[in-house]
Amino acid sequence: MTRYLIRRLISVLPTLIGVTFVIFMFQRLIPGDPAVAMLGEHATEENVARIREQFGLNHPLLLDRDALKEGDWAAFFDSQYLRYLGRLIRFDLGNSIHRRIPVTETLFLRFPATVELALLSMLIAVMVGVPVGITSAARRNSVLDSVSMIGSLIGVSMPIFWLGLMEIMLFAVFLQWLPSGGRLSTGVEVKAITNLILVDSLLTGNIEGFVDALKHIAMPTIALATIPMAIIARMTRSSMLDVLQEDYIRTAHAKGLAEQLVLFRHALKNALLPVVTIIGLQTGILMAGAVLTETIFSWPGIGKWVYDAILGRDYPIVQGGTLLIAIIFVAFNLLVDLSYAYLDPRIHYD
Amino acid sequence: MAEITPEEIGLTDFALREHRSLWYDAWRRMISSNTARLGMFIVAVFALSTVYAHYFWTYDPKTDLDYSLKLKAPNLAPTEEIDSAHLFGTDKLGRDIFRRVVHGGWNSLRVGFVAVGISLSIGGLLGLLAGFFESMPLSSREHILLHSLIGAIFSLLSAWIANQYFQVVLLAGLGSVAAVYNRFMAGKSARVLLFSLAGAVLSGASALLVSPYVSLVCAVLGAIVGAILSLPLGGQFLSSTIMRAMDIILSFPGYLLAIAIVAFLGPGLEKGMIAIGVVGIPVYARLARSVVLSVMQKEYILAAVSVGEGHGRILFRHVVPNILSPIIVQTTMGLASAILSAAALGFLGLGAIPPEPEWGAMLGDSYRYLTSGAWWAVVFPGVAIMLSVLGFNLLGDGLRDALDPKLRI
Repeated sequence: MTRYLIRRLISVLPTLIGVTFVIFMFQRLIPGDPAVAMLGEHATEENVARIREQFGLNHPLLLDRDALKEGDWAAFFDSQYLRYLGRLIRFDLGNSIHRRIPVTETLFLRFPATVELALLSMLIAVMVGVPVGITSAARRNSVLDSVSMIGSLIGVSMPIFWLGLMEIMLFAVFLQWLPSGGRLSTGVEVKAITNLILVDSLLTGNIEGFVDALKHIAMPTIALATIPMAIIARMTRSSMLDVLQEDYIRTAHAKGLAEQLVLFRHALKNALLPVVTIIGLQTGILMAGAVLTETIFSWPGIGKWVYDAILGRDYPIVQGGTLLIAIIFVAFNLLVDLSYAYLDPRIHYD
Repeated sequence: MAEITPEEIGLTDFALREHRSLWYDAWRRMISSNTARLGMFIVAVFALSTVYAHYFWTYDPKTDLDYSLKLKAPNLAPTEEIDSAHLFGTDKLGRDIFRRVVHGGWNSLRVGFVAVGISLSIGGLLGLLAGFFESMPLSSREHILLHSLIGAIFSLLSAWIANQYFQVVLLAGLGSVAAVYNRFMAGKSARVLLFSLAGAVLSGASALLVSPYVSLVCAVLGAIVGAILSLPLGGQFLSSTIMRAMDIILSFPGYLLAIAIVAFLGPGLEKGMIAIGVVGIPVYARLARSVVLSVMQKEYILAAVSVGEGHGRILFRHVVPNILSPIIVQTTMGLASAILSAAALGFLGLGAIPPEPEWGAMLGDSYRYLTSGAWWAVVFPGVAIMLSVLGFNLLGDGLRDALDPKLRI
């Protein structure tokens, strides 16, 4: 197991290096000079040169082949990409070009918002999707089955930004039950401990803050949970149907075991593997930030942050944010692979 | 003794049965399923109405503007206040939303089709190659091609440093030499040493023309390339390289990658097609590879190999026809998700350039007016997106059941 883990971790390395390279090159290839973008179009040459110097933008991108001709080794390796890698190793993601504050600082504020939304959405998606899938499989071809499968197909086909808008229309504009965006109302304060507002408000016993945060997170959670919920329900159903045809299920029925026992003890346990895979992959996707949901509900997560930075040409944020997102993504895929060993005793890694 | 025919005893000989092709069978299964029929109906309605509107119902978005009709609620018949009927109401510029939804379909569906075309052609081809050569030994000509390609690609760095692009040709040549003499001292470290020396000399000597320092760096890089070329690299290497590249694309969440690509290329419908197409490449590559791998285990492939058929013929006569079913299903579902992504890009203002009608962009234009109660400007384009995506998903589901009842993707 340990050897397998190490091998998997090493196999992820080339992908991650590729990711850093792609992220780096991409931002540099986007048309427009970041120094000019920072200073505005009427900046003097002198100021642009000073900013380029300050952010290392005057160095060559990959390697300085002209310096090498003169035998200047230090200058040869002193490139933007290698500097970037060097800073990465020290967890230094640089400063935001527009706001002049460290990227990591904003990251620590922004990421918990995404985590909170993603985990809550996933919780709801699993709590609804798995039971719906099980019941559909157990009562195959019943009305309940048809309704839930058509419902899940509609869920998969739902443009979630539109669903979010419909929620705002119904609950915020017409009924006025819920606020249309943000994490907390103005005037409500929650002491920051983990920056997960729901957790923090409970820890500090701040009931008012908890209710307010819950009201704010309700609509984005439902919008974000829709697609994973539908996917999980479909996957649970098809996996359960597969397992229910197995011989040992017939044996269990023949022994006279109760339906519930067969369903949960014998079938569900064996049907869970593909479901867990889907849950893991979907959590990875949600954790990576939901640009659209966050935009509609003005949710201060990383998806919207990176999106704004791309439009504003704020390279350090784009690089730092995208890298974090990619690492989370890769990590969740790895976790899913590793979880197989625990869920399926027939799988051995050596 | 009287002769007994199979019909008399109620037996039908399989050879006597009417011949039906796989596709005809699939078609019959499909039209007997309610969901597939519904999917076909929805897709047909959207396809016909948008094509009809595009060719026969003239609409010029540039001149469509009437402030007197700004944000009017849907009315089914002309009233005293408004002298024309607006089934879906009007938007912030007084434009008829029904008209724009129907015309927007042309753009939204077009993005879907072109994007899927890009992902399918590039991803499908890469996956096909990866899967095929992972389980098929390379012929000697393919070995030469692969090694020259590796030599050329890996020598790019040293060629760039020395600014001498003929190095690429030199090391591609070294690659083909390594492929031709692949038995020479095979498996011995002397072979690695020999080829890395050759690589070092080729790169280093040519870089001497520039400067001794450059020559040193190029010699080291050349030695590494030479060492790689000396290894018995085959289809496995090709396959894992392709799949690693796909992993890199997959490490970015789809929307973010598409947004980044559009930011790079600039907004516009065509750029959106490219962005969504690129994001979809790994999906098709992975699917094609895994299906090809299972097809390659079949006896008919072994038979084709043993009668001496060439690789190209095996690939296109035996492999491609047998992977079509899952690819067709994925393409249909892919159309659904491409339409969704196109709408998302449009919503973020990165798709169609206004005033061109497109469902996502129409939503993005109007959602600010939701708070003032103009629900119709948001509801109808969204319903169009959802229904068209649902149509393709239903069709994909039906196709999957019809083409391969055991298949689940």
